[in-house]
Amino acid sequence: MASASPKSSSEPIELPLPPVKIDPLAAFLSYLIPGLGQIYQGRIGKGLLFFVGLYTLFFYGMWMGQWRNVWLPDTFDLPDVVIAGQRLEGVPKAISYRPQFLAQFWIGTASWPAIYQYVKFDRTKDEGPPPFKKFQRAPNEEQLNDLQRNSSKRWDLGWVYTVIAGVLNLLVIYDALAGPMFRDPPKWIEEQASETASKAATEKVAAVAAPPPPSEVPAPPVPVAHTPDNPQGGVT
Amino acid sequence: MNAALFAVGIYWDLPVLLVIVSLVYAATRHDRWDRILSEAFGWGIRIALFLFGIGLTLFLLSTYL
Repeated sequence: MASASPKSSSEPIELPLPPVKIDPLAAFLSYLIPGLGQIYQGRIGKGLLFFVGLYTLFFYGMWMGQWRNVWLPDTFDLPDVVIAGQRLEGVPKAISYRPQFLAQFWIGTASWPAIYQYVKFDRTKDEGPPPFKKFQRAPNEEQLNDLQRNSSKRWDLGWVYTVIAGVLNLLVIYDALAGPMFRDPPKWIEEQASETASKAATEKVAAVAAPPPPSEVPAPPVPVAHTPDNPQGGVT
Repeated sequence: MNAALFAVGIYWDLPVLLVIVSLVYAATRHDRWDRILSEAFGWGIRIALFLFGIGLTLFLLSTYL
């Protein structure tokens, strides 16, 4: 429960929040392009922050890895992978050899060329079909060795950046689906509460300023007897 | 601390990660910009201190052990 629009600084008002609205379309849009779901919902500033931030992180990571660290490998000649008695085939087997892609995938369309390259992979050629060619195409073993050997730790750090971008987009997708973790009351509730508070304050001031009703006439003074402490007597 | 440590390129890539992760994570927790920025600042400080602590520990271990 949020508190906002206090009557005074010492008396916060607990404002009710409307129920969470689930928005699968916005979530899907935010999966396709980070922040697109928030822009669709009218939260344009946040949407732009997600778009610029996550694409910067993802492509900066790809740049650090010489644009060769997002791919799904061809597993034709790779040894079998058996998990829980099941021999993996196709995409699951490819992911078992490149688990990073499981996180990179969540950046959305920016990782789809890797899927396209995987589907269209031709091991007899050096590059994939246009327009992507070598972009997000699985490198062969020799190229991979060169990348890891010749670029200090930057190639490895690059794929870490792309993985973090993908994982962060999961949070962005959830934000589009169900809103932020800490919700604020909508403006109309805050305005309503503010009006109620000011109305109550006005009534309180009016009640203090108004003369007392006739039935509340003050009692007449009580005569006090002469005593040694009060030689004059009368009303004190 | 050894100046050569900071000459290594990968350390200059960390601020990009730090700023973006702080801002995006904070923005998934709040809708109001004042709260987003203050939370992002807090996370930025915490992540920077954590990274600095790890770096310092590794440096000390590699230098004195």
